[in-house]
Amino acid sequence: MGRAKEQIFFTGFIGLVMVAALFVAKDWPIRASIIIILLGSIGVILALLQLRLDLRAARAEDTKILRPTFEVQAIEHQGRWGSLEIWAWLWGLFFAIHLIGFPIALPLFVFLYVKLYGGSWLTAVLLTAITWGFLYGVYDNLLSVPWPKPWIRLPS
Amino acid sequence: MLMCLGVAIGSLVGFLPGIGGPSTLALMLPFVMTMKDPLLVIALLVGMDAVGNTASAFTSILISVPGSTGSQATILDGHPMAKNGEGARALSASFVASLLGGLFGALVLFASLPVLRPLVLSFSSPEFFILTLWGVSMVGILSGNAPIKGLLGGILGVFISTVGLDAKSGVERFAFNISYLWEGIDLVLVALGIFAIPEVIDLAGRKGTIAKAEEFGRGYVQGIIDVFRHWWLLIRTSIIGVWVGFLPGLGSSVADWFAYAHAVQTEKNRENFGKGDVRGVIASEGSNNAKEGGDYIPTLAFGIPGGTSSALVLTAFIAVGIKPGPDMLTSQLNLTFAVIWTLVIANIIATAICMIFAKPIAKICFMPFYAIVPPVVAFVFIGAFAANFHTYDLTGLMIFSSLGFFMRRYGWPRAPLVLGMVLGDKMELYLWLSYTRYGFEWLMRPMVIVLIVLLIASIAYPILTSRKRNAEASLAEA
Repeated sequence: MGRAKEQIFFTGFIGLVMVAALFVAKDWPIRASIIIILLGSIGVILALLQLRLDLRAARAEDTKILRPTFEVQAIEHQGRWGSLEIWAWLWGLFFAIHLIGFPIALPLFVFLYVKLYGGSWLTAVLLTAITWGFLYGVYDNLLSVPWPKPWIRLPS
Repeated sequence: MLMCLGVAIGSLVGFLPGIGGPSTLALMLPFVMTMKDPLLVIALLVGMDAVGNTASAFTSILISVPGSTGSQATILDGHPMAKNGEGARALSASFVASLLGGLFGALVLFASLPVLRPLVLSFSSPEFFILTLWGVSMVGILSGNAPIKGLLGGILGVFISTVGLDAKSGVERFAFNISYLWEGIDLVLVALGIFAIPEVIDLAGRKGTIAKAEEFGRGYVQGIIDVFRHWWLLIRTSIIGVWVGFLPGLGSSVADWFAYAHAVQTEKNRENFGKGDVRGVIASEGSNNAKEGGDYIPTLAFGIPGGTSSALVLTAFIAVGIKPGPDMLTSQLNLTFAVIWTLVIANIIATAICMIFAKPIAKICFMPFYAIVPPVVAFVFIGAFAANFHTYDLTGLMIFSSLGFFMRRYGWPRAPLVLGMVLGDKMELYLWLSYTRYGFEWLMRPMVIVLIVLLIASIAYPILTSRKRNAEASLAEA
């Protein structure tokens, strides 16, 4: 599926969010719904207009993305796995934090990432130590951040 | 000494994404409330508050993670400059612009206290509503050739700002019976997810370095020269910063976006904006420091804080016996001058620190991706968790990261979403107040009509000129 067709789905999703917001807000008192109804109505019209533009671009098989002036370029696929590789890392870290907790998951993530992508032992250990230092020095000791309890806890 | 401590903490907080000035000011409140001398409180808190945006340019420019909400617009041109090997130029330009903007803000604070009161008092909820609407639509339209996407993003941002329990009506809005959502969605989560993670994905995907160029060389002195070369832009954006800071409730993270919008709409040869134009950095950084001076005008003169930070500073002031209001211009004038001098000295100290360390820190640009990605991801996750200290913060981060990724992938501008979220609360409140006080008659107020005309013009003008340019280009191709 071309980028132009993918874009239709995203615009459609945003349009659906607008419609859903209007649908949910219609039962609220006016105090709570006034801004949703005002801007949501405009949003639905704008989403339909954007859908029309997207459909026209797809029909013309013009896969060139309309890029906003002030944004960095749209993300392009990289290599065989594209962005899936880094997404896997991010979700892996997300679950690791829940499983073994921030204090272990973050330094472990830093160490593994550096080593698996070819970093030297020195770089890996140094960055892990810096991350650990920030975690304990600034966030743990100075700011007393209450880390969430992990699902798996080491026996004390 | 306390001012130096405040500047050091403010700079550190500015450099650490996700913590933010307001939360640190809140953490300091119990400590400063035990102080007896109001001058010490002013030195510490105003010093801390004044410089947060100066140091935050480091992360905005080098790793595309806004160190504070006031430096988000800096990313748009600062980070592309770093990618092009001009990190040092962007940094030196941002620090000098921050310094001069900060000094300008202090100067305006000094000069304007007796003058501006009638103006701010002439504004009521209808004018403020149109002003907030104008803010969101301006940034939405800034999406250049995607104005509809920009406006939709702004509306989506306003919707996100409404999530939670509505205190006035008691209605649970878009919270789906999840108690975590009752307090609303933290801006930090949205900013980190929308801006930081997509950049990390990009960097990790490219498997290179942040900077494309191999030589660091150029730019450090050039950045300083750039600021003086674009002195007129700096003055204009500093005025915008002061004005945004001056308007109660509008300050905080809006000034940089307004200034950036102004720069893009008014400067010549604007095709490089968003691709690494130093004027974007100057506009954003000059305004966000100038804002602090403007912020203190209503705070000191009327006791109406311009933003979250000044609201916290005001709380501390009252706690130690400082009475904001007319007294600050008469019997407590020495305290007003203390605030002004603190703003001046804190900006000079912070800029000196940042200038000295700019080069070594800017070398981050040339580190390989595997040395940049993991610490940035770690910062983002910690910063997100620091929003509410709840594991749902991480879920929120992942959701907004996905949204940011797809927005970037399909060319949707992300800035309007964040601005819509920042202004959403105020916009809703002002609309409601206007409706209940005046019915639909508020639309006929003279100042409202003027602002609506300006709003329509600012939407229509870029669209029409863009169409004209496209038509001319098509004609030329034919």
